[in-house]
Amino acid sequence: MSDAKNHSGLSRRMFMTGTVSAAAAAPLLAKSTEAAEPSPARSAEPRELSAVSMRINRQAYNLALDNRTSLLDALRDHIGLTGTKKGCDHGQCGACTVLVDGKRVLSCLTFAVMAQGREITTIEGLASKDGGLHPMQQAFIDHDAFQCGYCTPGQIMSAIGCVNEGHAGSQDSIREYMSGNLCRCAAYPNIVDAIVQARDETRKV
Amino acid sequence: MNQAAPTPKDNQGDPVVRIDGRLKVTGQASYPADIATANVAYGVLATSTIARGKVSKLNIEDAKAVTGVLDIVTYGDMDNIGKPKFGNTSASSIAPLHDRTIFHDGQIVALVVAETFEAAEEAAMLIHADYEDEQPSAGFESKGTKTEAAAGKNPMLKEDPKAGDFDAAWANAAVKIDEKYSTPTQHHNPIELFSTTAIWQGDQLTIHEPSQNVTGWKVELARQLKLDPANVRIISPYIGGAFGSKGPMTARTAIVAVAARRIGRPVRCVVSRMQAFGTQTYRAETRHRIRMGAGKDGRITAFGHEGWEVTSRPDPYVVGGTSATARMYDYGSVLTHVSIVHADRNTPGYMRSPPETPYVYALENAMDEMAAALGMDPVEFRRINEPAKEVIGGKPFSSRSLIKCYDEAADAFGWSKRDAKVGSMREGDWLIGMGCATAIYPTAVAPCAARVRLTSDGDVRVQCGSHEIGTGVRTIAGQMAAELLGIAMEKVSVEMGDSALPPAPVSGGSISTASVCSAVMQACETVRQKLFAGAVGKDGPLSGSGNAKLDMADGKVGAETGKSAKLADVFKAMQVGAIEEYAEFAPKGSSPEALKKLYAGQPEFHGGEGDEDSVKYAFGAEFVEVRINSYTREVRVPRIVGAFAAGRIMNTRTARSQLMGGMIWGIGQALHEATEIDQRHARYVNRDLQDYIVPVNADIKQVDVILVPEVDREVNPAGVKGLGELGNVGTAAAVASAVYHATGKRIRDLPIRIENLLA
Repeated sequence: MSDAKNHSGLSRRMFMTGTVSAAAAAPLLAKSTEAAEPSPARSAEPRELSAVSMRINRQAYNLALDNRTSLLDALRDHIGLTGTKKGCDHGQCGACTVLVDGKRVLSCLTFAVMAQGREITTIEGLASKDGGLHPMQQAFIDHDAFQCGYCTPGQIMSAIGCVNEGHAGSQDSIREYMSGNLCRCAAYPNIVDAIVQARDETRKV
Repeated sequence: MNQAAPTPKDNQGDPVVRIDGRLKVTGQASYPADIATANVAYGVLATSTIARGKVSKLNIEDAKAVTGVLDIVTYGDMDNIGKPKFGNTSASSIAPLHDRTIFHDGQIVALVVAETFEAAEEAAMLIHADYEDEQPSAGFESKGTKTEAAAGKNPMLKEDPKAGDFDAAWANAAVKIDEKYSTPTQHHNPIELFSTTAIWQGDQLTIHEPSQNVTGWKVELARQLKLDPANVRIISPYIGGAFGSKGPMTARTAIVAVAARRIGRPVRCVVSRMQAFGTQTYRAETRHRIRMGAGKDGRITAFGHEGWEVTSRPDPYVVGGTSATARMYDYGSVLTHVSIVHADRNTPGYMRSPPETPYVYALENAMDEMAAALGMDPVEFRRINEPAKEVIGGKPFSSRSLIKCYDEAADAFGWSKRDAKVGSMREGDWLIGMGCATAIYPTAVAPCAARVRLTSDGDVRVQCGSHEIGTGVRTIAGQMAAELLGIAMEKVSVEMGDSALPPAPVSGGSISTASVCSAVMQACETVRQKLFAGAVGKDGPLSGSGNAKLDMADGKVGAETGKSAKLADVFKAMQVGAIEEYAEFAPKGSSPEALKKLYAGQPEFHGGEGDEDSVKYAFGAEFVEVRINSYTREVRVPRIVGAFAAGRIMNTRTARSQLMGGMIWGIGQALHEATEIDQRHARYVNRDLQDYIVPVNADIKQVDVILVPEVDREVNPAGVKGLGELGNVGTAAAVASAVYHATGKRIRDLPIRIENLLA
């Protein structure tokens, strides 16, 4: 972890920031360079802090973060939004699922600096200001789609992503496209029923 | 109404929605690692890379040099701290930082504490040890293990159950089965990571850690840290899955507390998924030999069950499921023996239905094999061997609705449409198999305290130091109070998961609903009596009514005459604002010290096969359909039906969810779960959620749960049998039975995977 340079001479930082102009790296960078937001101010030393700006649940945040900080740890440890859960830190359980620009993303596999200029939605951002639940949240209650509740924020964010991707057309499709979210209490049939209930209303939200 | 909310039948409570449902779907339910902690430092463990030997030198200089590192707790730093003791509150006697002996792979060698998680992780990776290493013994197959008889080594198995003359009955049996079965090492893998947050205020220590036993941990941690238990508080309001893994405290808790004291700052250590495999407990690997003899009439004359279980070098952890298997059917004779095999492994622990899952798996497989050998229908075979009394002690069952469960489940499943001939059912490329098995779980109850407060506004607060691990106990405790006090559920709040609350027993052994509800009932009953006295007293609104037939409903006290009084008016007459009662429930048969032991974190368990008057079990029957691709041998489980009878069902919604979750666990036991071990290094190989395979949504289709009405007034005042562990007992045997029916292959070693079904 101590070496900022990789063997090709390109720094890890440069890959992340998208400031490299080498042609060979272009495909990797395509997405980042498309972002309209300016790149965050960063240090060449990964342990030093970078300034990162993002919008979370419709609010702007300006943060100074270790380049190695995951979006998940930024949400939990730096912003205090602990609704998003850590279950594996390896992208294997789905508990950390959030929406980035409306698409479901594993926040544990996303460096916070990669979220520069992005719009993040977490479980805390779903209910309306007057406390009204998102139809998916209500459906999870109605169908008892959780027991311990730990995977639930990730399940709900993933379920909204699943519907918006158009993968909630059938129960089999829901099962397939929700299989990245483990539920050890095994509320799976109830999760499927909840998504079926909330499917149409979620599309309208 | 939807599937999640079954209509209650006799002796079943309403499917009230979870009291914490809104908190859980909005991200507001705070699990222990979520608690905002000012000035917190981050701890990351460093663990051993060998399984047996000694640490000759621990190299920590590189780690110390990492910017942001505050401290490294390692050998020598725990010398003034008491060592953990193996038992119900401590996972193991292995005290990793007290001496340099390595007992298992992945043993803690240091805790790094740093300003940030990133720095702590970087530093922990730079720690490396020089070892004097020895060849470890990984388990059954290894040289150098030590085998000993289990009985008497652990309260889980006081003696090996036996009855009658097994040898003679076995010799004379007309039909015999003599087979071996095995179950693998499994890890609980709750989705919440294990964590400890330690905060000192002077000599007062607060620990935020997911726990199934806050009172027990308080006392044990105080002993280790040489503190007055009154100065230790364990807080665990929400637990992200437990399944037994958060029952015993591990050595980490004291280490994190010591780190926090050394640096004078709160420390939070969230254990990585990989490190949890070696630093927490797990389900012991087991092997079984079953000898079953029967007459041609189908009556079992001889039942022999031998078990072998892996444990650690120092600790006699015993699975010991022969207590249940020896009492399951009307055997003519029984002979059992359990051995434990000490290997270079971390100490196993309780994992959902710890004894029953592996032992009943073996028994129910043998039952299916015997039914096939006799040419009998497996349901009919069980019906023939249904006992009037259990055969070990000759005691009656407090209630036993097994055959009713079989009948209801068979009917719902369509068992009569099954063609008994092996390999006879097929749809296109898919071979169809159908099988069944019995579920059993002992019904126990323990002492428990609770405090209930009712205000003149009709607000109810229930306080009990039990644990909401997802079972719904918080909802059910509130439901019990709401019902007895005649208050709407919306007016009820329930506080749990804090050692500062009235003590409750460990949330294990499926005892929580029975124990907590019995205590809440007792407290509510006293509240009611006080209110009734006030209502019918001289100045009361129901003065002169007599208090024989008073009741509470809709926020009122009602008399038999039809007259009723609003709570507010009763409180006004009594000139009080609230009534608060503290109840200590002790089950029938409790020792005089039972309540004292509850406060000391060592609650007595009553029930199961331990009571004088009767044995107490919950039962169920599970039917499974498997589909096996004739080319790829992929196994799917399109549907599973389980019928369960567990006394009074407090809430059909939470009961169904628990049983459904248990059945899916059973599917996982049958087809997915196994911790793989590198035999050369005694090391777990698949230490993450990608390679430790658990059922995912796509693995599960139709799961039907039938709640069979049953009344049992003997088990406890609430009439409740626990069911959190019942659902995953027997399931794997039902799957194995269905696989045999589809393919003719008898797979006796779990999990059943494609490679077992090829050729």
